[in-house]
Amino acid sequence: MEIPILSLMLLVSLVGAVVTFALGKNPKMAKISALVFSAIPMLLSLFMLTQYVQTAGGYQFRESFTWIDSLGISYILGVDGISVPMVFLSTLLVFLAVIFSWDVDHRTNQFMALLLVLELGVLGVFMALDYFLFYIFWEVVLIPMYFLISVWGGPRRSYSAIKFFIYTHIASLAMLLGIFALYFEAASFNGFYSFGMEDINSVSPLFGLTFQIVVFGALFFGFAVKMPTFPFHTWLPDAHVEAPTAGSVLLAGLLLKMGAYGIIRVALPALPDGAGEWQIVMVILAILSIVYGAIMCIAQKDLKKMVAYSSISHMGLVLLGFATFTEIGIAAGVFQMFAHGLITAVLFMMCGVIQHKAGTRNIPRLGGLAAKMPIAAVFMMIGFMASLGLPGMVGFVAEFSIMTATFDAFGWLLLIPVTSIAFTAAYYIWAMQRTLFGPLTKEVDTEHLHDVYWFEALPLAVLCGLIVLFGMFPAMVMDYIRPALGTVLGLLGGI
Amino acid sequence: MIPLEFVLIITSVLFVIGAAGVLLKKNAIQILMCIEIMLNAAIINLVAFSTYFGDGTGQGFALFAIGIAAAEVTIALAILLNLNKLRKTVDVDDINLLRW
Amino acid sequence: MDILEYAWLIPVLPLLAFVFIAFLGKKLGDLNGYIAVGGVGAGMVLALWTAYELLTTGRIYSTSQTWVVLSNEYTLEMGVYLDNVAAMMLIVVSFIAFLVVVYSTAYIHDQGPRRHRYFTEICLFVGVMLGLVLANNFFQMFVFWELVGVCSYLLIGFWYERPAAARAAKKAFLVTRVGDVMFMIGLFILFTELRTFNYVDVWAALDTADPTMMAFAAFFLFGGAIGKSAQFPLHDWLPDAMEGPTTVSALIHAATMVNAGVYLVARSFPIIATSAEVALFVGAIGGITAFIAATMALCAPKIKGVLAYSTVSQLGYMILGLGAGAFLWHHGHHAAGSIAFGAGLFHLMNHAFFKGQLFLGAGAVIHYVHTEDLAKMGGLGKYMKVTMITMLISCISIAGIPPLSGFWSKDEVLAMTFEAGDAGLTFMVLWVLGVLTAFMTAFYMFRMWFMVFGGKPNEGTVHATEHGHHKHEAPIAMLIPLVILASLAFASGFSLFIGDGFFGAIYYGDAHVLTIGEKLEEVFTSPLTYISIVAAVAGILLAYFSFYKSKISAEKVVSKGFPKAMHQLLLDRYKFPQAYDKIGYVGVYGFSLLLDKFDRYVIDGIVNGIAAFLMAMGGVTRKLQNGFVQSYATLLVIGVSVIVILLYVVGVLR
Repeated sequence: MEIPILSLMLLVSLVGAVVTFALGKNPKMAKISALVFSAIPMLLSLFMLTQYVQTAGGYQFRESFTWIDSLGISYILGVDGISVPMVFLSTLLVFLAVIFSWDVDHRTNQFMALLLVLELGVLGVFMALDYFLFYIFWEVVLIPMYFLISVWGGPRRSYSAIKFFIYTHIASLAMLLGIFALYFEAASFNGFYSFGMEDINSVSPLFGLTFQIVVFGALFFGFAVKMPTFPFHTWLPDAHVEAPTAGSVLLAGLLLKMGAYGIIRVALPALPDGAGEWQIVMVILAILSIVYGAIMCIAQKDLKKMVAYSSISHMGLVLLGFATFTEIGIAAGVFQMFAHGLITAVLFMMCGVIQHKAGTRNIPRLGGLAAKMPIAAVFMMIGFMASLGLPGMVGFVAEFSIMTATFDAFGWLLLIPVTSIAFTAAYYIWAMQRTLFGPLTKEVDTEHLHDVYWFEALPLAVLCGLIVLFGMFPAMVMDYIRPALGTVLGLLGGI
Repeated sequence: MIPLEFVLIITSVLFVIGAAGVLLKKNAIQILMCIEIMLNAAIINLVAFSTYFGDGTGQGFALFAIGIAAAEVTIALAILLNLNKLRKTVDVDDINLLRW
Repeated sequence: MDILEYAWLIPVLPLLAFVFIAFLGKKLGDLNGYIAVGGVGAGMVLALWTAYELLTTGRIYSTSQTWVVLSNEYTLEMGVYLDNVAAMMLIVVSFIAFLVVVYSTAYIHDQGPRRHRYFTEICLFVGVMLGLVLANNFFQMFVFWELVGVCSYLLIGFWYERPAAARAAKKAFLVTRVGDVMFMIGLFILFTELRTFNYVDVWAALDTADPTMMAFAAFFLFGGAIGKSAQFPLHDWLPDAMEGPTTVSALIHAATMVNAGVYLVARSFPIIATSAEVALFVGAIGGITAFIAATMALCAPKIKGVLAYSTVSQLGYMILGLGAGAFLWHHGHHAAGSIAFGAGLFHLMNHAFFKGQLFLGAGAVIHYVHTEDLAKMGGLGKYMKVTMITMLISCISIAGIPPLSGFWSKDEVLAMTFEAGDAGLTFMVLWVLGVLTAFMTAFYMFRMWFMVFGGKPNEGTVHATEHGHHKHEAPIAMLIPLVILASLAFASGFSLFIGDGFFGAIYYGDAHVLTIGEKLEEVFTSPLTYISIVAAVAGILLAYFSFYKSKISAEKVVSKGFPKAMHQLLLDRYKFPQAYDKIGYVGVYGFSLLLDKFDRYVIDGIVNGIAAFLMAMGGVTRKLQNGFVQSYATLLVIGVSVIVILLYVVGVLR
């Protein structure tokens, strides 16, 4: 009998959220329950990785049930080479975030439950093969994030949480309109109404060009705000700065990838001709995100805000990779999604560590911390070096390949985004120098500064280990991604 | 037979008079009385149509309406009595707490 | 058993030492040093054996494995490419690394828990540097190039509590990063035009490739070399890098990492040779760098500073040689081109030995007198005999006095530059600069030597000998490498005469094999040789009279007027650090502050503005809820009436 692994992951997350929420009286039990219920999907996803056949195209572990027949809504789940790394990343990050949040003592059960609901939403987005289902899970993600920021966040949390919610929600509505447009238009070609991705995508090349341009614009707006792309990025720094560490980790590590995933899963395959017309815009916005994000980082005094802007810059790279419409670019873009997920988790965890130990994230007030926190310093250096694209770490091959594809497709235009490599190095090295090196700071109580605790070190070690592992053996990830791109490329190749 | 139009004109006039009263009067009891006028206009309409088309349903409906109107006035007056006790006034312009 | 099949182990052995020390070495103290010596030593044995095999058989060995496939055309591979050039680099890198690690066991001895970190980073460095040498494609070289850069960053900033060290490390990383960006662009061009990064495939495809794009590729690849080998205008990080331990300076900034740039130029030599302009550019940068750096060394106040500038200058010679070679090759003078290619690399080998020796010797001196300031030293010859003699040998070698090694290679570079001058006038100018540089090199090296070991003892020496605990010279672990390197500095020139000679092994295109007699004849019948010897001797004499005999007072010369201004300019390094700071702080940082304001007030302002507008609208519309029942009723009546009238007009109601 086929075990429905994907539904099982969703179910376990949901049940886990309910159970954890119910354990209000006993925070310790709540934490353990969250740990168990987040470990199960992670183990399932590892199992899925081993069972997945890399060279076969199409979707695997497919489950399909008709849900609301009269409207054409079905419950279809499936993964292919693009979503498999994402699913693995999601389960891993949630599990590690639960561990990292071991010292949350204010309404612990609710915090942990919200993390699990977040997992449910994110997994659902990556697995859904029906547009309606996709949209439901997409929206599900907003609610736990809102509460995580507004209850456990920093001083300006109410503003940031509301801004995050409304901004991304409006974008989602634009996306919803796009989805409805696809639904009705596909029905006129198919003869029946259906929200299923495969049903709509099979006739989508037949849609008229104007229709494709407009709908692609709507969908792209929805995903661009999520990614986030310049100029729709301003919700991100505020949300990150105010969110609790686990919230930031999942926000940056997973939610941003949903936007990129949407482009590669929804927008590009459904509307290839429209995408062709939008290519220039995508390239320009991507380059702006990359360079603007990188330069913004240099000016930041808050470590977390700096990392937030660097996320904008790196997701810009993903968009650039997609915008080249070449096999190298798209494959590298997906790889960069995965790589950035791992790296940014380390970065935000380090911000959390510094915040907890030194009491401040204000860079000018920090200094010489490596003397007191050597292990933390090592993790931070690995994270920073990985993020600036050092070979041997997972981000390098992706970044290098995206740039190669850009030069291949657009020639000397590459000279603009390539400067970001220097800027990125500048802000990371400068930040490292000001926080870790130099004389020990006098502005912060350094007497009682200890090194990382076990629950902080463990996730960091796992992530850093994976960063180095996939950096040295990138084929381990790429061999999942590349074969899955056949359909997308075939459609785009017609441009 | 009186032409239907005559009755309809009278009831419309009555209705408008009642409506005007509802919108323009200050005293809540006066507003209630005007509401009664509007109700009566509608009831006469019902009877007129019933007579004109020879269908008894209209007159039955009219009897129901008279009865319900009586009940409704009772409740309305009871509310106004309570309001008077609370606010010492039945001037509609002074009762505006449920606002922005 | 074919040793070449095991060549891939050469970098692996030091890396194993790295892993071991990193994870298990925390409590091991001095034992870390011995493990490092073991790992690096094992790598060295394998490297020397491999090099011997390569040099004696003249084989070329290449093997490759797919690393990651990104598309049908884009397969990144990792592999090993071994030829004579790689053999030479293997000898230089592994041997000097081994000697430096041995030296370090004594030098780092008193650093306590830091020893663990030191040996971890050193082993990592040696491993990745050897990986760079073995690479079989430009991409792989870049991968290890970056890793080498990180190790350099970590080691320069070894004493990270010192702000100067942290700043120097940052500067090194960022300046070389600029070079790395150019290297990357060169790689992208190679891929787009040739669809491959593999050395052999690239070299083969050059004939049919688009010449303009290949020129660009050569230019950008050279940009990487400018950064890594500290050529003008990206040279300023190297003097600052002296903040790191002296062993780091010896290993990384004299003998190995900075040579990576020259090695890259050597591997891209065929690409550079396709374009006369780029070859000219390469040579010009080399010559200009050599000259400028030598001028800065003239008045450097610290011993390591002199050596740092000297390194930059000598690297300039190497680049000049390779550039001249490419230029000559492009213009059809294949024999001369091949010799120039060999000359540049010959100088690389010799320089590694004598500069490594000089740095390690400087380390011993600093260790003894606890100061880096030349003015505080003096008269140390009495107390540090071995160091004095070994450094003397290296100084004579670098000055270019026959028959020591520096003479042979420097002379060959200058001779080839002169010959390139026939084909392009710029090279004539560069030749003149080269001769002047030779003069200055001799001068400043002996200035240093005399100020340290000769003359009367100054405060540093006095303090060390009377109050210090050093009644003896440096420990044996430090002295032996000094002696070995000095012997090589003396003798490595004689590799010209072993077997087919150096130029019989290291060549481009065809080997230029001469007998010993022919070689000597060629060298000593040319007037150019004597010009460079005269320049060197003149430099030594000038230094002798200024700093040993005090016949000419240096202070008096620079105390007023133009010499004084010049002196200040040289001490300020031609204001390069200020320029970098301006670009960095004022330019980039200032711009980013501006963008930050833009982001917060304009972009976010729009977002918040929309929100504020909507809330204002809400504020207006809510006034409709005024609490008056009658106004609600009025609206109701009006509304219903409007609907009915509209419906009547539209025709739905009859």
